[in-house]
Parts: sequence; structure tokens; C-alpha cells
Amino acid sequence: MLWPLLALSLFPLSLAAQKSVHEQLVDLAAAGNGLIQLNEQTYDLLASPKRDWSAAVHFTALHPQRRCAPCKEFEPAFTAVAKAWANAPKDQRDKHFFATLDFDDGPAVFQKLGMSSAPGVHVYPPTDGPNASAKKAPFKYDFQNGFEAGPLAEQLSVHTPIPIPYKAPFNWARAGSIVSLIPIITLIFRFIKPALQNRWVWAAGTIATSLVMTSGYMFTRIRGAPYTGPNGAWIAQGYQNQYGQEVQVIAMVYGILAGSFLMLTVVTPRQLSPTRQRTQVYLWTTVNFLVFSILVSLFRVKNPGYPFKLIL
Amino acid sequence: MPAAYPLPSDLSPVTVANTASLLRIIALALISGAAIASRLFAVINFESIIHEFDPWFNYRATKVLASQGFYEFWNWFDPTAWYPLGRVVGGTIYPGLMATSGVIYNLLHALNLPVDIRNVCVLLAPGFSALTAWATYMFTKEMKDESAGLLAAAFIGIVPGYISRSVAGSYDNEAIAIFLLMFTFFAWIKALKQGSAFWGTITAVFYFYMVAAWGGYAFITNMIPLHALVLLLMGRFTGRLYVAYSSWYAIGTLSSMQVPFVGFQPVRTSEHMAALGVFGLLQIVAFGQLVRAHVSSKQFQELLLAAVISLGLIGFFGIVGLTYKGWIAPWTGRFYSLWDTGYAKKYIPIIASVSEHQPTAWPSFFMDLHFLIFLFPAGVVMCFRTLRDEHIFVIIYAVVASYFAGVMVRLMLTLTPVVCVSAAVALSSLMDTYLDPTEPSVEDDKSESSNTPSTGTSASRPATPATSKKTKKNKEKEKEKEASASAGSVLSELVSNVTSSAVAAKSATTAERGVFGMDTRLVVLLNSLGLLLFFVVHCTWVTSNAYSSPSVVLSSTSSDGGKNLIDDFREAYHWLRQNTAEDAVVMSWWDYGYQIAGMADRPTLVDNNTWNNTHIATVGKAMSSPEDIAYPILRKHDVSYVLIIFGGLIGYSGDDINKFLWMVRIAQGVWPDEIQEPNYFNRGEYRVDSEASPAMRDSLMYKMSYYRFAELFGGQQPVDRVRGQHVPVQGPTLDYLEEAYTTENWIVRIYEVKKDDVLGRDLKIANAFNQGKKRKRTKPMSRRKAIGA
Repeated sequence: MLWPLLALSLFPLSLAAQKSVHEQLVDLAAAGNGLIQLNEQTYDLLASPKRDWSAAVHFTALHPQRRCAPCKEFEPAFTAVAKAWANAPKDQRDKHFFATLDFDDGPAVFQKLGMSSAPGVHVYPPTDGPNASAKKAPFKYDFQNGFEAGPLAEQLSVHTPIPIPYKAPFNWARAGSIVSLIPIITLIFRFIKPALQNRWVWAAGTIATSLVMTSGYMFTRIRGAPYTGPNGAWIAQGYQNQYGQEVQVIAMVYGILAGSFLMLTVVTPRQLSPTRQRTQVYLWTTVNFLVFSILVSLFRVKNPGYPFKLIL
Repeated sequence: MPAAYPLPSDLSPVTVANTASLLRIIALALISGAAIASRLFAVINFESIIHEFDPWFNYRATKVLASQGFYEFWNWFDPTAWYPLGRVVGGTIYPGLMATSGVIYNLLHALNLPVDIRNVCVLLAPGFSALTAWATYMFTKEMKDESAGLLAAAFIGIVPGYISRSVAGSYDNEAIAIFLLMFTFFAWIKALKQGSAFWGTITAVFYFYMVAAWGGYAFITNMIPLHALVLLLMGRFTGRLYVAYSSWYAIGTLSSMQVPFVGFQPVRTSEHMAALGVFGLLQIVAFGQLVRAHVSSKQFQELLLAAVISLGLIGFFGIVGLTYKGWIAPWTGRFYSLWDTGYAKKYIPIIASVSEHQPTAWPSFFMDLHFLIFLFPAGVVMCFRTLRDEHIFVIIYAVVASYFAGVMVRLMLTLTPVVCVSAAVALSSLMDTYLDPTEPSVEDDKSESSNTPSTGTSASRPATPATSKKTKKNKEKEKEKEASASAGSVLSELVSNVTSSAVAAKSATTAERGVFGMDTRLVVLLNSLGLLLFFVVHCTWVTSNAYSSPSVVLSSTSSDGGKNLIDDFREAYHWLRQNTAEDAVVMSWWDYGYQIAGMADRPTLVDNNTWNNTHIATVGKAMSSPEDIAYPILRKHDVSYVLIIFGGLIGYSGDDINKFLWMVRIAQGVWPDEIQEPNYFNRGEYRVDSEASPAMRDSLMYKMSYYRFAELFGGQQPVDRVRGQHVPVQGPTLDYLEEAYTTENWIVRIYEVKKDDVLGRDLKIANAFNQGKKRKRTKPMSRRKAIGA
């Protein structure tokens, strides 16, 4: 019987306190242009167990000493989303806060949450009031879509009262540079026009493209494969894997082999001295054979089950 | 000019021509034989069986077509797929493949050859590979000559890049599509060369067949306009181009719209807009040309130019505007993901999850194309040397296809034909040079050589015998001078027939060229021959080892070299067919949907036709949730059995635990609140042992996979042979499902979903009660309510 009474007596007090907390937060948010810079005390205010607001808290470590490169990379995205939220209608805006807590401002909070890495984004759902969520645990944003603002806004919008009015900013700098490039390009075009009309320029481009593509360039692009492996190894183990340097080596090998065929077909027959021609024929045939054996032995490294080999 | 080796002299040109054509026919027949034979490894090593996943659906649909006729097939609604939604099969497939085998089946039966429909389906792909070889021959003949054509046909007949999609039993759309692709391209080149509406129509007809057969028809839809556009930009617009393109586009587009699955897409989607745009552009340019031919006033011509350009711009912005307003659908995700390679992983995980949609590393290129891969650039250079209209086509094709093949392993298939064609062009140019017995005059006789008629192929003539004295080879030849002299003229006939006029014209400008001596010829030819032989051996090895596994039956080699067949899949499907009710719904990951429908004949929730992402995500959620959350989902979908693939016992790496993260990802795409990928990792590592994350350990998939697994090891620490991890001795327990069947090697495990408890208790509590445990007072009531809903 005592509990309800006690609660009743505490109620106005807590209401007053909470209201002030909320107002405090609104003021803080307004001061920070939509983003609250937290420290230990304000964090406790924001994440108070009885709250009718939700909050997205960004944990980071921007101090140069911390050497957190991803933090620096992610910080503008979060700030941009928070700024976008500041443009939401007033009545909705105050139901959700964006805040950021630097490690150096509140190491105790990091410790309390058991956070061992930064950056991180936690979304605290409201626990009180009409929008109270059944889930108590904060939602943790995972960075599987990278550090861009677009996916962040999209994912956080699930937890905000209304979707975050985030629009990717129009890249004026890029647009400007493109516009300024147009006259330059037309100027250059006038000079390189003969080159563009030369079929061998196009041939070189075509051959380079197909050599690079058939050497697995797109694989390294899409998978983000490193240029070399650990300990300077340049051949990746495994049939379905490769490093960036392999693209160069293989493209060069293919290029030499194709070149040796072209030399034999196109250039050598034009040689009018028999001895010189014979030297060329033997030279290019040997090059062809040797490089091809190298290629096969490279392939055997990638696919150890391959049973054939030439001299190497 | 002397000859390096003697040739028979007493042959009339007619005999030579006839023999050459007979040899060509024989060679093509042998190539067809080789193409078919090398695809039969699968049948010989295993049996006449349909392979993999999609072919099982095609086979099932073909059976309906063969037994019930075309109209029944056309209107077929399949209630057992995508339970409980069902699938309108007639309107959601490319019927070309089934119709083809249906026609062959009926034809054979009309001839009183009672062939089983399964054998028609199994052998369709090898049969069509022979036709592909022929179509490639025709195509390459247009590029260079017959000898290059034969080489190209031989290459494409046995190249692994094409065999991988067309072994016997691989009854998929690609089986006939590559033939249609090559033949459509051949007809297009022919139409373009002759400016013939007849060939344009043939292009359109085969284009229609292609549209009906394979979704990859979009490749043709964009290749031909691209070719036309490039020709236009190069200032090569001709009446021939106009006739060929217009007849192809008009007839081809109208007929392609007759395929229900395609419908109005040719006028409503961005993939097809390039074709429409180029069509419009050609009309404008043709009109401009027409008017210019009739009007002389210079001002009027300038006005006309402005009008033409503004018309083109209006058309372009019209298309853009229509796209913006939503009248023209933007690019579909599948198409878009080819350009923005990160797109699929972000937005359509189902596409990204398929192994054949992964990017290609270089060993795959070498494995699939062997030495053709470096002859290919050489052939492209050859195309640049002559650069007729049709060579531009090959060049564009080469660039586009090599990019696509790099982005997706699967598109290696579209790269293979152009690689074969241009490699054949390169190799046959080499052979032409070194087989030609003509020897040029030596350097110091330059003045004399300029007197000789300057076609490079003009063979030895008795008029210039004195020039050759200095080379030692020619001294040997001196004895046979008379013979070689007359032989040379026959050969020159033959060679000039064979060598394309362009090459001849080219060499005409470059005065003398040729090879001295026999040894040089021999060394180059032996090297090429060695390459070709190596290629054959390579292709045979790759085909028999890598591409001939049906993947329904697995084989392993035991320690004594013997061969073991692992037939767990069919064992499980047969068990389902024999022991379960006909309407028992089986839930599995979508990979196995077609196989269950085809072999077990049971309704499935999801299958390889991944049209409904939410439905697949539902299955993913059920698999990745704890039992008590999964159970209501299973009951709501009437699931009676759950089928999973588990390779941990024998080390079969393509099992469901390895695919599990994709299930999680796809489920997360629909329920981001409930399923989160990071929960299934333990500190960034994907583990199944005692360190596995709680979400992983509680998931239905994990429990079903390792249920009773420890019992096999008799108290020892069980080992998962795929992941190479030690699984806890105390295995997971199941409350809502019970094991129904596990195959010999544990690859397939089937679980039955328990019905409601007879006393109305929650199954977990009932289980605990049966095991004599005390009931804990928690909150079980809410769960039972969910089941009833």
C-alpha cells in the first residue's frame, strides 16, 4: 500500500524534473544546431531510464591521439543527418535527439556500455509516454553499408517519429568543376580530334580494356582486394581469389603472348632480309612458348590440382 | 617468286574447290561430333539425369508440355510452388526451351521413335552445341574466311566456357540461347552486309526465338543498336544499315512482345530504350539524307541539319521525360547491378547471394578459355586492321563482353563466342601467313620485286626464277622448279579464294611480304599445333573434372582411388515422395525448391524463381530465429517438413550453414528489428563451435544441423569437417520439431514440424513434462495464442 502512495507523492516532482530535462535537451540541441555534444552528465540526462523521447547517440573518438580513422570518416555523415533532423517540424523534432559523445569527454560511459570500438551509433527508444517502445535494448547501427549518410538516415528513420528529411546534398563543387571542364574539353577535343579519328588509338584502348578485364580487374574492384598480400606475397592463394598485382602481371603476360602472335603474323613477314626474319621468327616463337609456360605454372599455383605443365 | 615447298600440279581449280568444300563439310561434321561427345562425360560418369537446380523446373514444365499439350502448358497454374501463393507458370517463364524439346519430342514420336522426354531434355544441350559450332562457323566466315570459320567452330565446340553451361543434363535456357545468339548475330551481319530486308527479317525471327528462350536477350537488344550507333558516329551510315536495322527492329520488337513474360517491356523499360532510340535516330538521319539528295539550296540544308538535330534532341528528352514520369520503367536491379557493382549487395541481396553472380578472378578466365584468352586481343587487332562494318561489331562485342564477364562469372558465357571468333581470326591469319608456300624475293632484288604484280598472294611465277638463287632452301627446290611453278598457280587460286579480299587489298599496298625458308614455317606451325593440342587436352580435362558433375549426385574418390557416389539428395527426395502426404508442405532454402518439386513432387514455400523477396525472407527468418519464434511462422504456412542440407559430416561445403548468412541478410532486409547480422558473429568471426554467438546457437538452422551430430562421435569431440571446428559435445535439443529422416551421409536432414500438443500445452512445456522436469512458472500462454492466429 505504501508504494503507490510514495509514487504519487513523487509524481509531480519527477514530472517537473523530467520536463526540465527535456527542455534542457531541447535547448542543448538548438545550441548545437541539432546535434548535442554530450559529456557524462548530459549523457545520463539523455539516456535517463524514464524518457518519452528517443535519441540517436553517436560514439566516437575524434582526438588525433586516438587514431581512429573510421571515426573521422563517419563523423560528417552523422552530423549531416542530425542537421537534416533539425529541419523537421517543431512538434516532431523534439521527440528525438541526435547526440554525439567523444571518448575523451566520457570514458566512463564507454566503459559502462562495454564499448571497445568506435565509431558506433545507438538508438535509445522512448521508455515512457505514448510512444513508449516495448523494446528496452538500444538499437545498434551496423556499418554494413559503409559510412555514408544516405543509408544511415534510411536506417535511423525506422526509429524516429517521422522519417528523417535527409537529402543528399547537391555537390556544387563537382557540378561546378564539370561545368568548367566543358570548355576545356572542347578545347582539348580540337587538338586530339585527329587522335580520336585514328583507329589505332581506339585499338589500343580496346585491347587495354579487354586485357585488364580478363585479368580479373573487376574482381579486385568489387571485392576490394588488396594490391599485395601479407609478407609481400603477390599471388593470392585459392582459385577464386586474387590480389591487385596479379591483374598487372597477368595482363602483361596476356599482352606479351598476344603481341608475339601479332609480331609473327604482321611484322615478321614484312622483314625482307632472310636472316633477320629467321631470327625474329625464332625469337618470337621462343618468347611465346616460354611466357605461356610461365602462365601455365602461375595457373598451377592458383589451382594446384591442374595436372598439365610445359617446361616450367 | 619461288615456293617454299612443292604442291601437286595436276589439279584443276574446280577439283581444288570441290575438295575444299568437301573437307569443310567433313570438318564441320567432325567438330559437331566432338562437341556432342565431349558433353557426354556427365552421362557416362553418372547417368542420364537432369542436373543442378533450374533444369529440374524446366524438366518438370517440359513434362507438362509433352503430356498435356501446349495450351495446358500455356495456362498452367502451379499451386504447389510458392505455397500458399502459387505461380502462374505460363506467364512467368521463357517458354522457348520447353517448346523446343516439346517439338523434338513430338517429331520423334511422329516418326515412331518412342524416346523418353527425359532423354530429349538431357541431350538437348549437346545437340544444340553442334548447331552453335555451325552458327559460329557462319559468323566467322563473314569476318574472315572459311578456314577461320572452321577454327572458330572447333574452338566453341570444345571450349570449357561454353561446355560449363551445356553438358548433357544441363537443361537450362543457356543450352539453346548461345546458338540463337550466334545465329542472330550472323543474320544481322549478313543483313547489314547485303542491306537485305530478308536477312533482317531472319534476324528478327531468331531474335524472337531468343527472346522466348532466355532473359539474356537484352544483350542482343543492346548490342545491335550499339553497333548501329557506332557505325552512324563513324560516318558509315548507309542504306544497307537503314534497311537491316529497321527490318530487324520493327519485326523483332513486335514479335518479342508476343512472349507473355516480356509483354510490353520493349516499349516500357529502359533496357529496351536504346534500341528504340537508335531506331528513331536512323529514321531522322535517313530522312535527312533523302531530303539532302533532293534539295540543292545551301541554306535549306543548314536549316535541315538544325531540324534533324533538334528532332533528335526532342526524342531524347522525350524518353528521359517519360522515364522521369514513370511511363518508362527505369533499369531493373539486375541490369543496373552490372554497372554499379555495389548496388546488388546493398539493395538486392538475393541476386548478390547467387554464386554465379560473383565477380570473376583471372584463373576462371584461363580455366574456361585457355589459350584463346590471349589470342583474343590479337584477333581484335586483326579486326582493327581491316575494320569493315562487321569487324566493328566484333570489337564492340569484345569490349562489352569482357567487361560483363569480369563483373559476373555467369556472363563468361556471353564472352566465350567472341573470344572464339577473334582467336580464330588471329590464329588463321598466322596459319595463312606461314602455310602460304610463296617466298618473297630477297632484299637486294627490290627493284625486281616491284615489277612483279603486287598481290601478296600471287604465288610463284616462272617469270622470276632467277631471284631465288641466293637462299639455300631454294636451291633444293630448284629441281622441282617446273612442278612448283604450275602448282603455285593452282595454290594461288586456292589461297586467293580463301584469303579475304580485304587482306589481299591490304597486302597489295605493302608490296612484298612472306616468309623465307621451311624451318621458320615449321617452328611456328609446330608451336601453334602444340598450343592447339594442349588446348584439346585442357578442355577434355576441365570438362571431365569440373563441369560434368550433375550436383544432384556427388562423387568422391576414396583412398584407394575408387569412386564413391554420394546419392543423398535423391535418397531424401525419394523418401519424401514415398513417406509423406501428397500435400505436405516442405520448407527449405530456395536453392532446393525446384529439386523438391521435381523429384519429391511436394509443395514448397520458395524456389529458385526468386520473384517474391518477402516470402524468401520469411523462410530466412524462420531459419535464423529461435525455435519458439520460428514455430508460429512454420504453422502459419502449413509447413509439415523442414529440409536442410548439412555437409559437416562428409565435408560438403555447399551446405546451408555456409549459406546461412545470406538467409540472415535477406531476412534482415525485411525485418531489420528482429534479425541482425552482427548477432550471428562472435567478435567478427563466423563460428559454429562452443564459441558460437547465442543467436547462432539458438537459431533453427544451427539446431537442425547439429541435432544429434555428437552421437556419431561416441563421446569424442565432434568435428565439423566443412568449417573445421569442434562442435560442443552437448548438442542442441529440439522442442517444436522432430527428426524425420537423415540420409546416409547426413547431407540432407528432414525434420517434421510437430502438431499442437493434444492437451493444448506449449510444446516446450510438454517436452519438459515428458522428460520429468518441473514446470517453470514463466509466461507460456502468450505463445500459444500466436499459434492459433
